[in-house]
Order: sequence, then C-alpha cells, then structure tokens
Amino acid sequence: MSIFKKFLTFKGIIGITLVLCVVLIAIFAPLIIPPEFATKMDMRARLSPPNMAHWMGTDQLGRDLFYRVMLGARTSINIATSAVLMSLVIGLPLGLVSGYFGGRTDNVLMRLVDTLLSFPALLLALTISAVLGPNLQNTIIAIGIAFTPYLARLIRGEALRVAQMPYVEAARSSGATNSRLIIGHVLPNIMPVVIVQSTISLAFAILAEAGLSFLGLGTQPPEASWGLMIQASRDYLDRAPWTALVPGTAVALTVLGLNMFGDVLRDVLDPRSQS
Amino acid sequence: MAYFIQRLLSMAVTLFLISIITFTVTNILPGDVAMMIMGTQSNPAALENLRENLGLNDPLVYQYGRWIFGMLTGDWGNSLLFKQPIGPIILQKMTASALIVLLSMTIALTLAVPLGVWSAVYKNRWQDTASSSVSILGVSLPDFFWGIMLILLFARALGWFPSSGFVHPNEDFLMALKHAFLPSLALGLGLMAHLTRMTRATMTGILSQEFIRVARAKGLAEKTVIWQYGLANAIGPVMTVAGLQMGYLFGSIIVMESLFNYTGMGWLTYQALLNRDMPLIQATVFVIAAVVMLVNLIVDLLYPFFDPRIQLK
Amino acid sequence: MTERNKLSSKLDTQIDDPIVSLDHLRVEFETDGGTVVAVNDISFKVFPGETVCLVGESGSGKSVTSLSLMRLVEFGGGQITGGKMLLSRDGKKTANLSEVDVDTMRSIRGNEIGMIFQEPMTSLNPVFSIERQLTDGLRLHTNLSASETREKAIELLKEVRIPDPEKRLRQYPHELSGGMRQRVVIAIAMACRPRLLIADEPTTALDVTIQAEILSLINRLKRETGMAVLFITHDMAVVAQMADRVVVMYQGNLIEEGTVNEIFSAPKEEYTKALLAAVPQLGQMAGTSLPSPLNIPGATFTVKPPRDDIGIEKKTLLEVKNLVTRFPVYGGIFRRKVANVHAVENVSFTIDRGETMALVGESGCGKSSCGRSILRLVEPESGEIFLNGKNIISLNSSELRSARRDMQMVFQDPYASLNPYMRLREQIAEPLNNFGLAGRSEVDDIVRDILEKVELPTSFLRRFPHELSGGQRQRVAIARAIVVNPSLVITDEAVSALDVSVQAQVLNLMMSLQDELGLSYLFISHDMAVVERVSHKVGVMYLGRLVEVGTRSQIFENPQHEYTRTLMAAVPIADPKKRNISNDMNFKPIPSPVFPVGHNPENPIYEEIEDGHLILRN
Repeated sequence: MSIFKKFLTFKGIIGITLVLCVVLIAIFAPLIIPPEFATKMDMRARLSPPNMAHWMGTDQLGRDLFYRVMLGARTSINIATSAVLMSLVIGLPLGLVSGYFGGRTDNVLMRLVDTLLSFPALLLALTISAVLGPNLQNTIIAIGIAFTPYLARLIRGEALRVAQMPYVEAARSSGATNSRLIIGHVLPNIMPVVIVQSTISLAFAILAEAGLSFLGLGTQPPEASWGLMIQASRDYLDRAPWTALVPGTAVALTVLGLNMFGDVLRDVLDPRSQS
Repeated sequence: MAYFIQRLLSMAVTLFLISIITFTVTNILPGDVAMMIMGTQSNPAALENLRENLGLNDPLVYQYGRWIFGMLTGDWGNSLLFKQPIGPIILQKMTASALIVLLSMTIALTLAVPLGVWSAVYKNRWQDTASSSVSILGVSLPDFFWGIMLILLFARALGWFPSSGFVHPNEDFLMALKHAFLPSLALGLGLMAHLTRMTRATMTGILSQEFIRVARAKGLAEKTVIWQYGLANAIGPVMTVAGLQMGYLFGSIIVMESLFNYTGMGWLTYQALLNRDMPLIQATVFVIAAVVMLVNLIVDLLYPFFDPRIQLK
Repeated sequence: MTERNKLSSKLDTQIDDPIVSLDHLRVEFETDGGTVVAVNDISFKVFPGETVCLVGESGSGKSVTSLSLMRLVEFGGGQITGGKMLLSRDGKKTANLSEVDVDTMRSIRGNEIGMIFQEPMTSLNPVFSIERQLTDGLRLHTNLSASETREKAIELLKEVRIPDPEKRLRQYPHELSGGMRQRVVIAIAMACRPRLLIADEPTTALDVTIQAEILSLINRLKRETGMAVLFITHDMAVVAQMADRVVVMYQGNLIEEGTVNEIFSAPKEEYTKALLAAVPQLGQMAGTSLPSPLNIPGATFTVKPPRDDIGIEKKTLLEVKNLVTRFPVYGGIFRRKVANVHAVENVSFTIDRGETMALVGESGCGKSSCGRSILRLVEPESGEIFLNGKNIISLNSSELRSARRDMQMVFQDPYASLNPYMRLREQIAEPLNNFGLAGRSEVDDIVRDILEKVELPTSFLRRFPHELSGGQRQRVAIARAIVVNPSLVITDEAVSALDVSVQAQVLNLMMSLQDELGLSYLFISHDMAVVERVSHKVGVMYLGRLVEVGTRSQIFENPQHEYTRTLMAAVPIADPKKRNISNDMNFKPIPSPVFPVGHNPENPIYEEIEDGHLILRN
C-alpha cells in the first residue's frame, strides 16, 4: 500500500530503526543485564577510555558505561512517556472542549494557557520539581505539567478548525448530539496532529529530563538516567570526555530518531503539510 | 491608538495572572523562610517572632498583596542567599543574559532565514534533504550537549574562547563578547535548526501562491521573485516564531549558564531554586515570565510593519 | 474575418501570420503514480486581433497549455517533452518558446506576452503597494525613469477604469475589492503592450456583474490595442460571448476546433455535443413553467407537474416570515459590538410541497445565511419559520434536533462536507442512527436503497471520501440528506464546484428525486442559467433583502426590479448569436450590508404586479 511506501524514505527508515532500537533496549535491557553490571565499582579501572573490558569506558567510580547507558534507557523513556501521557490526559480534553465550544469558555481557558506559555517550559518544570522535591515521580509531573499548555493550545487550534468544517455542520443538522460530534467527528480528525505532536513531545521530554537531571533537579541517584550520567561527567570533561559523550550520544540518537519518525508521520498522516 | 491601549490592558491582565501563578506555585515550597534566615538551631520563640515580623502567618492573600505591591513599587525584597536587595542583582544578571539571548537569536536568524529559503526553493532535492538533515540534528541534540562539545573544541582544544565566567559589557566589551560567545553559539545552533524548519515551511506556503506566478509572468528574475516577493511575506510569520522562541531561550539559559558558569538570570534562577531562596525565586520567575510576555507583545506591535493587512486599529 | 481585415489596415502588418502557433505540443508531469501526460499533441494558432477560447473541464490540460506558452509550467514540475511553440516577434526572428533560453523568455514574459490568472484575491503580493507591483515590470522591460513609470502606472489604472488612480497607487491589495484587484492584474499584464494576452479563467472567481465588467474590459482593450487574446475557461456561456474561435480540449487532447458559430451550431465531435448539451442556456426555458432536465445522455425522464390533489393547508411546506439574521462585528478597545452585518433583512417567502424555490444573488447578498438560518445553523434574530406548521424559531434544542429530521442540507464543497476519516456507509447511515429511526439491519437496507437512488454502486459503501470524485461525493451528500426522508432539502451552491457535465448529471438527479419522492428544494445559487432550469419559483436577494420574488417565468421573462434587470443583463448567454457582453459595462459595486448598532431599516414594502410576483419598492 502506498502508505507504507511513504515510510520507506531515508528519514523514515533511520527514524523507525532508531526508535525501535531504543524501545527494545528500554524494555529488554533490564531483563537481560544483571543490575550489578552497571553498579559494580572498580576503582582501579576508573575513568578508563573504551577498551575490550569496558566497551564504552568507565565513569569516575569505575562503573561500566555501556551497561549503565543501556539500563538508563528504561528510566529516560519511562519518564518521557509518562510525562507526555500526562500532558495528553490534561491537554486533550481541555483543547477539544475549548476549540469546539469556543466563546467564553475558550477565551478564558486560552487566556490561562497563554499566560502559562509565558513561562519557559524548562523553568516551569524546574520550579515544580524544586517545589515538590526532586525525584523520579515529581520529574514526570513537572515535565508533564510544563508541556500541557503547548499541547492544549495546539489541540485547541485543530479542534477549532475542524469544528467549522461543513461535515461537522452536516452531522449536526442530521441530529448528532454534541458528544457524538466531538468524539465521532472532531476527535478522529485531530488525531493526526495529536500523534505527530506527541512524538515530537516525547523527544523534547527526553531532552527536558536530561536537562533537569543535569541540574540536579531531576532523577536522583541511585536511579540511573542519561541526564544524571551527563551531570556526573561534568567535572571530568578534560580527562574523560567519553563519560559525557556516551550518555549524550544516547540522548541525541533517541531524540533524533523520534524527530525523524515524527516528521515522517506528519508527511504520512497530514498531506496538507506537503504543500 | 485604541489597539495600543487594548494591548496594554491585555498585558496588564496577563501580568496579573503571571504573578498569581508565580506566587501560588512557589508557595507550595516546603521549608521555612524564617529558619532559612536564622538557621535551624535557633530559638523557637525567636523564629516565631521573625515569622510574625515577616508576615508569614498572615493569610496568603495578604502575603500576595504585599508581594505584588512591592514588585510594582520597586521594593523587591532581599535575597536570603546573597543577603542583598534583589532588585539590583536581577538588573545586573538580566544585562548578562540579555547579551546571550540577543546574540544567540541574531546568530540563529542570520543562518536560519537564508537556509530556510534555500531549502524551500530546492524543496525535495538534495539541497533540501541536506539542510533538513542538519536541522534535525540541531534540534535533536540537547543545548548543553552542544555546549559541552563547543567547550571541548574551542575552549579546551583550541583555546580561542574562555569556557566559563562572565564580564560585564560596560567593563570590557570585547571580553564580554568572548565570554558570551560560546554559550550563545550553543544556544543559537539549536535555535537555528528550529527556525530553519519554520522558514522553510512558511516559504513553501508562500511560493505556492498565485502572486508568485504573477511575478514570474511579469518577467522578473527568479532571484527577485524569491528573495523580494517571497521573503517579504515570510518575515512576519518568522518573526512571530522567533518571538515565541524567546520563551524557550529563557528556559535554556538556565542550563547553559550553569554549564558555562556564566552568571546571568538563568544561573541566578538556578541558584535560587537550589537553595530555596523564596523571595529570589519569586522575583526571578516573575521577571522572566514578564520579559517573555513583553517580547511577544513587542513582536505583536511590530507586526503591521511586516504585513500591511494587520493594522493597529 | 472582418475583425482581422479592419485590424490589418490599422496595423499595416501581415495579418495572416499568427502571433503564436502551437505545433504538436506535449507536456508531461512526474507524479508519485508515474508519468502523467497533461497535454498530448496539441496544435493550433492564434492570429492578431482575435480571441481564441480554449475550453474544457478539469483535467483537460487547458491551463497547462497556457502555462507552457509562458514557460511557467516548469515551476510546477511540468516538462515540455515535445512540439514547438512559435512566437512571431516584432522586428525579430520567430522564436520557438520550447527552446529559448531563460533570459530571452524573461524578456518575453510581461512584455510580448501578458498573462492574467484566476484568483484575484491572491494574485497580488499582499505586502507590496500597488504602485510597486505595477511598475517593477515596466522598469524591467523599458527604459523609463522613475517618475515616468509612475505616470505610466496611473495611465494604466485609468485604462482599466479604476477610479482615483493616484490614491490606489499608495494602497495595498487588501484594500481593494476582488473586481478591482483583477483590473489591477490586467493593468499589470497590459503594462508593456503585449501582442498576446493569455487569460486563465480570469472571471471564474468573480460575481456575475463583475465578470461582465471584466469581460467587457478585455474586449475593449483588445479592440483598442489590436492584441490577440487566448482565453481559457470552462464556462461555455463565456465562450459564446467572447470567442472568435474555439478550441475544445479533453484529457490533454484537442477534440475540436472551429469558429464560435461552427462549434455552437454544428459541433462535429461527440464530446463537444455532450458538453454543449450539459450547458444550461439562459432564455431556453421561456414559455415553459416546469423545471426541465438537461438533455445529456442518460436523461430520459420528464418532470411532472406538482400534484393538485393535496389540500391547500397541506400544500404549503415552508413559510418564512420576516426573517432577520445579523452577525455582530466587534472592535474598539473593549471588543464591544460596534456594528452588525445585516445578512438577512426581513425576508419572507413560502415553498410548497414538491416545489423548488431558488434564492439567487451575488456574494454577500445573504442567500446562504438565509438557508442556514432556516435550519438554525446560525441563530436568527427575529422572524418566524413555519415548517409543516411548526415554528422552528421557538423550538428548544431537543425539539430542534427532531425537527431537523424534516429538513436537511447539501453543502457547496464536496471535499469538505464529508468526514475524511469515516467510511461512506457510516456517513450516510448517520442521520438514521442519530434519530434512532431504524435498527441495525434495517439501516443497512435503507442505505443500500438510497445509494441506488443516487446512482452509485453499493461497493462505494466501504470507501472513504478521498477515493471518490467531486460529483460522486456530492451524490453521497445528497444521499445523506435524503436518507431520513425529509420534506425539504436546502442546497447551498451544491453544484457550483462541479464540472459542467457532472453538474448536469447531479441536477438531473436532483430533479428526478424530486419527482419520485415529492421533495421540495430551497436551491441557493448564483448561477442564473442553472436556476432557470431547475426552479418553480425564484427569489432575488440583494443586501440581505428579497428584492423580487415570483414564478420562474415571471422573474426570467418579466424582471421588474432594477437589480434583477442588472443581474439578467450581466449573465452571459451560451449562444454566440446573442451577444450581450460587448461594450464597456459598468455596474454598481456590491455594497456590504454592515450597519452600526441600532440601525433598523424600514420594513419592506412589496408591490404585487401579477399573481405571486412581488417587487420591493423601498
């Protein structure tokens, strides 16, 4: 079918491959790799560059970076996915209702959302995290809340556009109730945008988690996340740049894959963007 | 004129909402301001006394009122961390960050707009694929990753630029630029990627419009058609996106300034959060949100210059 | 021939040499689905001083041909893969446009050949002033100084009859109306006195009075400058009015060529004959009182007169009384209501069972708003709407919902009126399900039945809208409208976006459904010729008011109101022997019905000059 052909572009293949790899690692790595591999400290081998014993080198405590980065995948993906899901759970109904009904409700809600958008997302996430106390759960909440305004606004725009289409009017004049119109007509037509945007948001969520952990306000030890690994490497950049490059590249590849995948999804689901 | 007043009123409402959000979020902060000032070992009675004096036992609405009144009249309180009035600190740090923000936005726009137009013209050919690959790379790497790479390359390896510290432009403009350059470049590269994609998307839409065909039918050179007729229509949307990106920038400087030990607003906010310096947190968050809002307002007001269809009526 | 001889003495040149001569032109496009041949072996000539109309439906390749002449087709991905396009040049050697280099082509564009396009709303750069857009072509092709080009620009604006030209120069496109923009576009194309003007559907997006103005303007400019015109259109009526010669295209091929009289009175090819049969001609229905299907292949039925045995009370289906609908305009500091758009102003009419009432008018007259007010898709401000005796206005939302069973709507845009993500079966069944009219198995039967009625195969039930053509989608929209057996169907420009032959089929379908099911239609349209064909009654709207109403023969054969007469005068007749678009036509610009808050126009006073024929007198 021609739909699958569109995925077979250069961008599409790389994107899907990267995403698939990361997801598989996130799911299976903790099942295959015993946790000691990542936490075992070998002070004699600390800060050693990649070699046969340690494929990606070791960090300042002599821990093997390869296993740490593999296990860290689950944490980072977990946080990102949960955060995006949270922002969807709040933002989707909000945007839908606001865009469909318009009027006063829309004005008030969007005013609130616009105000929240004046706060840089990272700042919001940092503040919430600092306020609640940084740990894994609160990182999810912080990032989730920070991303909600942007998503809500986007969905509201789409819902507004679709609500004015003739087929919605036609359905209304053929006796459909508001809930039927919203769920049966508007929602399916905004799904492409929601899916594409969620994918891109996943990418940003991973970046956000990395940023928060880098500043010490994200995941805390003993949890292992990529952001935390980069933070730990700060003092050793001169002597052992690989301690930063290994987790950094992991983040980069994941985000790259998600962005590419999101782009290809957009081309497939929303032909309007082609013109 | 009426439009102007309307926007001002709107801005006032937004500022009000910003202040409420700031105050509410930061007041969930656990930890006792009094204890922070006097230390955890102090006499409980003395602590209670301080709380009374600071008005910490009053209803939240009163506290809010006092705070916002202070903000509006210039009395921004004292920082617990620095033991100094907050106002001058923020002013100084704001100057530092303004340098980075402006520099990175300039770098980003100068590179992104031509690149975006170029990609749109050669849509779906190798030039487009090449530039979109670069863009996607730029968007995908975290800012601080770029920062680390740049430090390793330009500061450590080549020694061209310092890897940390801040110098005030008034003291030594050249040194100030040198210190600001790497962080701005790191930020600018990520920003450029996003702006390039936006420019490309906008230009693609413009180039499919009828007036482009009419311009060609007049016999105008293709260069004129694209870079004058086409680009003139793209400036408005691109400026709007750039304005929105300001918000993103002010978030990114928090990480970037920490990485480079560049003591600007981002660094200040981070220190405040880390140390639970409530008055400072409230002030910095409020100021940053207000500045972002202002920037977007300015872009809105400038819009009629880019697009005569929109008028300050 | 006489035109050319007259011109010959004026220009003192060899008139027998064509300005442009296409020779076996072939144009291809690369698409995802392979190579598409858009133009296949086209050859024709255009001589000085004549208008050649290139006519065809969508996909005929007529636009591609004209774009190829200007070598603009490459910018859209097209490639000229064969043939020659010979342009005879003033004082220079004849050039083969398929092969000239870029610089030569640029010096020809806007200079020796001018082109105007379809969409006046987007043909001008929104951020540049009118002056700039008029003069940059001049500065490119001529040696005039800055002040000289400015003067020339003013001259050009005067030539296309734009009032107050000095003021216009400083303005921006959005400050001009659609008709004025098209005049500016023509001025731009004429700036360097081209020998050939290519006009690609220049009036398709314009109201009928503005269309008449633009067509007459083109005629006048042609006479005054001796240029040739290659006029591309899908509208046979316009062809009849404008052409000296006609070239008929279909799916990239040249079907037939001849003088306009030859083509219209003695067409040789089947396609041409079918195309002409599908075109409703204004005036053809004189002397009849009932609608009549178009005589296209497959049309075998005749319309029966509405039944006489229905009692008088039961006969009237819809009664609209003093309907007022206004839309607020917000502005000022506090976004208060500063004005109202008086979309529907005190409109009253009735529709009987089995009858089609047409509402005609130009853009902004309120006919669409009227239709939507009746369904309460927009809320009217006051008035009464009686459907089968029930006042629709006074119903609450759940009563309204059930009242809508009896009246349905078909929208204009076949692409936007169907949900792209829903299968056709569900969309047609939806009204049944919403009203709970039938159980699941019954629904399936009813849907199949309806699909048959609109002459679509049942295999379409599984499909999605994007798999269907425009005409097929419109049939589905009709099916969805009639599936609940309504008494009234409101069609809002339902055939305006369709090709001529498809339009004829859908119109015939609508008429046969009316015959079979006793439907009434409120037929909203701007196309007078179509309205003449399908209606029993006609109401003419202007500025939100009903200015004249009566039976179809009363309105078309005896129009009384000034505006109705204007409208009739402006509609092109699809008969070259009846040319009504000739001299410089100028109509009053269409005003906008925006009034300040609190403005209450006086009640309309109608004069009844014959039985049922009412004319607005104030």
